[in-house]
Amino acid sequence: MKECKIVSRKFEIENSHTLSVAREHGGYNAVEAAFALEDEAIVEIIKASGLRGKGGGGAPTGNKWALIPRDGDRPSYLAVNADESEPGTFKDRQIIAKDPHLLIEGIIITSYAIGAHEAYIYIRGEYYQFQKILQAAIDEAYVEGIIGQKVMGHDYRLDITVHRGAGAYICGEKSALLESMEGKRGHPRLKPHQQEPEWYFGNPTLVNNVETIASVPFIVKNGADAYRQYGTKSSPGTLLFALSGQVNRPGVYEAEFGASMLEYIEHYGGGIKNGKKLKAVIPGGASTPVLTAAEAACTNLDYETLRAMGSSLGTGGMIVMDEETCMVAALKNLLEFYHEESCGQCTPCREGTGWVDGIVASLLEGRGRQEDIDRLLDVSETMNGKTICVFAPAVSGVIDAFVQKFRGEFESYLRDVR
Amino acid sequence: MSNITMTVNDQQIVAAENELLIKVLNQNGIDISYFCYHDALGADGNCRMCMVEIEGQKRPQIACDTFVKEGMSVRTKGENIDRVRRNILELELINHPVDCPICDQAGECKLQDFYLDYGLYDSHIEMADKVHHRKHIDLGSNVMLDQERCVLCARCTRFTSDITQTHELGIIGRGDHARVSTMPGKQLDNPYAMNVVDLCPVGALTSKDFRFAQRVWFLTSTPSVCHGCAKGCNIFIDHNREKYKDEKIHRFRPRENLAVNGYFICDAGRLSYKELQENRQLQALYDGSAVDFAEATHYFQMMFQEQPKQIVILADANLYTEELEAIIMLADRLNATLVCPMQTYTDEAFGDAWLKSSQRAANTKAIEELGITTVLSDANAIDLLISFNHPDFTAVTAKKSVSFQTHSGVEADLIFPLAVFSESSGTVINEEGVVQRCKKAIYRNDPIPSVLEWIEMLKADGEER
Repeated sequence: MKECKIVSRKFEIENSHTLSVAREHGGYNAVEAAFALEDEAIVEIIKASGLRGKGGGGAPTGNKWALIPRDGDRPSYLAVNADESEPGTFKDRQIIAKDPHLLIEGIIITSYAIGAHEAYIYIRGEYYQFQKILQAAIDEAYVEGIIGQKVMGHDYRLDITVHRGAGAYICGEKSALLESMEGKRGHPRLKPHQQEPEWYFGNPTLVNNVETIASVPFIVKNGADAYRQYGTKSSPGTLLFALSGQVNRPGVYEAEFGASMLEYIEHYGGGIKNGKKLKAVIPGGASTPVLTAAEAACTNLDYETLRAMGSSLGTGGMIVMDEETCMVAALKNLLEFYHEESCGQCTPCREGTGWVDGIVASLLEGRGRQEDIDRLLDVSETMNGKTICVFAPAVSGVIDAFVQKFRGEFESYLRDVR
Repeated sequence: MSNITMTVNDQQIVAAENELLIKVLNQNGIDISYFCYHDALGADGNCRMCMVEIEGQKRPQIACDTFVKEGMSVRTKGENIDRVRRNILELELINHPVDCPICDQAGECKLQDFYLDYGLYDSHIEMADKVHHRKHIDLGSNVMLDQERCVLCARCTRFTSDITQTHELGIIGRGDHARVSTMPGKQLDNPYAMNVVDLCPVGALTSKDFRFAQRVWFLTSTPSVCHGCAKGCNIFIDHNREKYKDEKIHRFRPRENLAVNGYFICDAGRLSYKELQENRQLQALYDGSAVDFAEATHYFQMMFQEQPKQIVILADANLYTEELEAIIMLADRLNATLVCPMQTYTDEAFGDAWLKSSQRAANTKAIEELGITTVLSDANAIDLLISFNHPDFTAVTAKKSVSFQTHSGVEADLIFPLAVFSESSGTVINEEGVVQRCKKAIYRNDPIPSVLEWIEMLKADGEER
């Protein structure tokens, strides 16, 4: 497989999280390149690079940046989404732990491009030790004059504040994240009726994932075309794909978009544990519909292919399941998570996640009734497309894929009991 | 703002451009289900019950977050959308205790209404699998919370955060463990707290004052105006009559009037119904002994045998305008001085910037508009004092005194029982000058005459002699 390290370039270097090591290896070089440009020119470069949001949605980043108004009568903000809570996804924490200065560098450039003087990093509460590394890096950057009143000697002020979440998955949803940052319950907001930025205390705000921001320095320094060398036409660049589950070497490995899924699992993950056969792969974090081994075999790791497969690339965090995995138990594991994490704001999700969890539990406990499997699909349908945010539709997609692709296993729980 | 034309269920509708669809549907009398939306609180979008189909949209949309546009075509009925609504209702109900037989909201409960409109399925969940919460929490301010019945529409929490801005209520917990609560150790404590009971579309919030008192379907609602202060908040008097007994008021509820009180009333006004049926003067008394009404009018005429020179009439600022006008004519006829001392009605501590006026009488504006004197200039040597329920009656000394009074406890030579405002009809003028009509709500087995009726009887009696 083609070696490509854009975000993970310094991951293997010892003490890469310190400023001196980061600088030795070219850290903060892109800042000078950025300040040599007009802010709007940076937005154009990002647009041209085709950079897509790496938090799961895959929306074009440049377009999002362009939504921040430049009239100057209100402050604008950058909020970096480090509330990485999706099961199977653990890439942002690698960036924070191994190369926090790359993130800070990205924040400086992004803030400059959108005219923000305050940037926030919303980090999940459970990432305590990573938050400490991040804060230490920020403190170092302040001391060295990299951020603060004069960013690297330029006439530009930037303050970075780390905001710890209290452990709610839903706060990774951008509007819930901002509600939480405003000191309210982390509830997603109603979607706007036209394209507009997010709002933090009524001021225009850009919310981007850690990895997205960490990709910015490379693009600004080397140009959009350099980024487009990697990946496919509509999914340019690279992603920190992650591997977990029954593989020999689980971990985070950067690869370009468009790589073959099985090749990736083989090359980086070292194949399936104990020489077992592959049964299924959840391609991009728990909330993406599961793929059978046969589907995985003809899957490339890019947004378009996975969408065409009826699934989604999501965050690129693959959960690999071998032939001995019980798919009913696997679904139960996922549904327990959603049951626990539904924010409870809107009805279909609040009540639906509990109900489907209960139904699968009754199957596993041998209390399953003949009609339960269809009921599962029925409730799933009500959860799809009828809520404020995409939490419930994602759960619905998970259920549908598990039940439709492995219906026999679900039925076996009925037959075995009766 | 200009108007647009749209269609709902193939019916043409004209609406204001960019109006909320849910408002347009309500204004046109088209059935739409919802828990969380409220005109006073706006859209929250959490209950998902108001889903409609909009032509050109792939998925059903919530009417409370949709703005109407020219040419928009909306369906609130049809196989697909009915199914969606029905399924969401089922989700509202899976963890609901369905304890309607012991629930005070029964009969005015949106869950019941919707279930009977289009639910009608058997439960698909075992009772044992339901999520349980606490069932009786005294929130304070006469509000009881049953967390299990709650549909988490957040109307109550939005009322305390957006309207009263007192922030007592919030939702804690996530998912199906979410529930309404106060902050630890805190109570619901504001002068408008009981409005959350009306706002609650289900039986989660009930009034400690009303619960277990009556089934709502036995109640009759009569529109009226609160007499607690000069604000003139519009209310419904909810009352009924048990067999052989006198009719009884069980509660006051706010009645929407955007020109006066909006959607709400204060708790003091809401509970003021109790005063209307406590400690009432039921009999006519002469020299402390009960007399019948005919005898009482006779004694009234006797008061004039000694040719009293200075006669003073006191009129209460709570009387209807029509009653005040009749008293003015009576004063003319008797050559009496008519006064309504006002200082007694002023209560600065009661007033606030919203619905509570520091003028604590319903018709002070009428006193002003009718030109009734408010200062008793010569309080000495009063030969005959006639009071129409004025609270300061006992502060004035006179040789002889007659009192028409709604409540007992005041001594006078001659006492006539008097109807309260709920027992007669008339108009009041609020402090902003809005003239409002009150309908007679309460009919007693042994009627107590109103001011107008007494004056008629006295006139008839006087003419006979």
